Amino acid sequence: MLWRILLFIWISAAMIAAFTWAPLVPVLEQTTRIVYFHVPAAWVTMVALGWSMLHSILYLWKRDLKHDDQAAAAAELGLLFCIVATISGAMWAKAMWGAYWNWDPRETSIFFVLLLYSAYLSLRGSIEGDEKRARLSAIYSILAGVAAPFLIYVVPRMYDTLHPDPIINTRGKVDMDSAIVICFMAMLVGFTFLFFWMQSLKVRATRLERLRQIHV
Amino acid sequence: MTGAAVGVRPVMLEAKGVTHLYGRRIGLQSIDFRVESPGVYAVTGPNGSGKSTLLRTIVGLLRPTSGTLSVQVDGRPLDGDSRRARIGLASPELSFYEEFSAAENLRFAAEVRGLPDPKAAVHDALAEVGLSERAQDMVSGFSSGMKQRLRLAFAVLHRPALLLLDEPGSHLDDAGRSIVRSVVERWRGNALVLVATNDPEEMKLATGRIELRGRRLGDTA
Amino acid sequence: MLQAGSNSAVAVWAILRKECRSEWRTRYGLNAALLFAVTALTAVSFSAGRLGDRQDLLASFFWIVLLFATLSSISHAFVREVEGHTLLMLRLVASPTQIALGKLLFNLLFLGVIELVTVPLFMVLMGAPAPHWGTFLTILLLGTLSLAASSTLVSAMIAQTRGRGALFAGVSLPVLLPVLAAAVGGTRGQWQSHDVTGEIKLLAAYAVALLAVSLLLYDHLWEE
Repeated sequence: MLWRILLFIWISAAMIAAFTWAPLVPVLEQTTRIVYFHVPAAWVTMVALGWSMLHSILYLWKRDLKHDDQAAAAAELGLLFCIVATISGAMWAKAMWGAYWNWDPRETSIFFVLLLYSAYLSLRGSIEGDEKRARLSAIYSILAGVAAPFLIYVVPRMYDTLHPDPIINTRGKVDMDSAIVICFMAMLVGFTFLFFWMQSLKVRATRLERLRQIHV
Repeated sequence: MTGAAVGVRPVMLEAKGVTHLYGRRIGLQSIDFRVESPGVYAVTGPNGSGKSTLLRTIVGLLRPTSGTLSVQVDGRPLDGDSRRARIGLASPELSFYEEFSAAENLRFAAEVRGLPDPKAAVHDALAEVGLSERAQDMVSGFSSGMKQRLRLAFAVLHRPALLLLDEPGSHLDDAGRSIVRSVVERWRGNALVLVATNDPEEMKLATGRIELRGRRLGDTA
Repeated sequence: MLQAGSNSAVAVWAILRKECRSEWRTRYGLNAALLFAVTALTAVSFSAGRLGDRQDLLASFFWIVLLFATLSSISHAFVREVEGHTLLMLRLVASPTQIALGKLLFNLLFLGVIELVTVPLFMVLMGAPAPHWGTFLTILLLGTLSLAASSTLVSAMIAQTRGRGALFAGVSLPVLLPVLAAAVGGTRGQWQSHDVTGEIKLLAAYAVALLAVSLLLYDHLWEE
């Protein structure tokens, strides 16, 4: 209970600081603020992907349904954060590049992750029986784990060469103000804890649901 | 069977607290037994008591949710691959390729199993269940009784040390039932035979009995 | 160990022959796949016309036709076992890995036959310039390997779901996107006489990764 309140205060404080204390970056102007939400959301998307795959491997190894609960919850939350990151990214792209979607490497990466999560969750939804669902989803998750590095790092950069039109003016490394860095890191930490808190809620809810089904 | 004494492989089957759950539904409630070859044992129990589940667990298609089930031949425990090689199962759920003939289906099974002489094995198995005349007929044209005979042939094709027959008399007429009897008689001396059945006639074939506790259908854990 | 290996090879070979004979007798999958490939090709060719000087479009169309022909037909191999209830028999005589390897080899052959028809037809209908055969066939072979490896594993899972074939394309696509991207890039590059070593390396690495992870996962496909 206590640390939930602490988490609330932490994120609120970081948010207020981000809007009042941290300065704006010259080129980005007001869109600087997005960095405090968009990047942590994208970060959590990746954390969730890794967490889900880790628990998929653990499930096939240990055959304990609690790992499947973890994998499923992380995938659902990952999809949520992925959507947040995609939408906030598109808004930023509209403001900076003039279009919501440009297939730049990062947009391509996040779109592929969105596909992976959707495919994984629709597969889960179509399997009956807890053990079978857990086993097959874990297999798919590991297969997707092989595809993920290619989807996230390799292919988007190839697509870049497929579309030779200069879409992005590659941003030079901006010298970030230390206030920006502090707020950004605080939000990153806050989002990570937020994810793990939501994750534990989802896992507990799944477990309760299973118990309820047994006792009716 | 003249070579019986030479060919006999001591088989031991032991279950300790074996339970299988399908999700939250009980497939097999905690069961303990130990049986050895030679012998014929009837596995009995009301519908839904887990007779089929037990046989599938023995052959290694299902893993017990808890407990251990061990099969030993010649004092050596069998793992996944050798279980497939030494155990024969005839189950009502067993289906064959409709586009192949009876002989082709068995030939395929014999080849995958890596039997030294597939042709002879198929010939013997079909003769044993009285299907030799229909060997070249497509399975799609088989009656349910003929399919049941084919299942028996499939189960004995590789001369298993442990033969599992699940409801072997179902779909069979009197002639068919007498074939079940002759198959059981023939393998009684060479293998450990388990027959899952509630048919009093088939129970008479058995020398011992493994009784599964009854429970209401759809009971949960 | 050696004994076990040769036993497995015998089992895989027997399963492959069974698949071929079954396909030959029923022609369930092959007819449908060939018809689909030819239909897709016709649609593309008819609507886009001859594209001899647009190698970028040619490469995209070529792989999209191939990808969709694969996705529309190849899940059949396992769905048929499930619908005919023959999977039990198969599992009683062979290990999951032997079954899956047999199906993988069959799927490779199956794709080979589809390509044997699709590739020449594509070249003729679309007015494609002559490819650098060595490079082109290497890309085709590596792409086919990945397609077959992914499809075999995914279709074995899909056959156990409620909708059977319905989800196959959607669930396969994320796994196949890297293949599509690299194969299209490589095919376009060889027509334009560019160096496509990068694409070939990527395709090879991906095919190896898919095959390796498949071998690790096959044993979990059906409960043992």
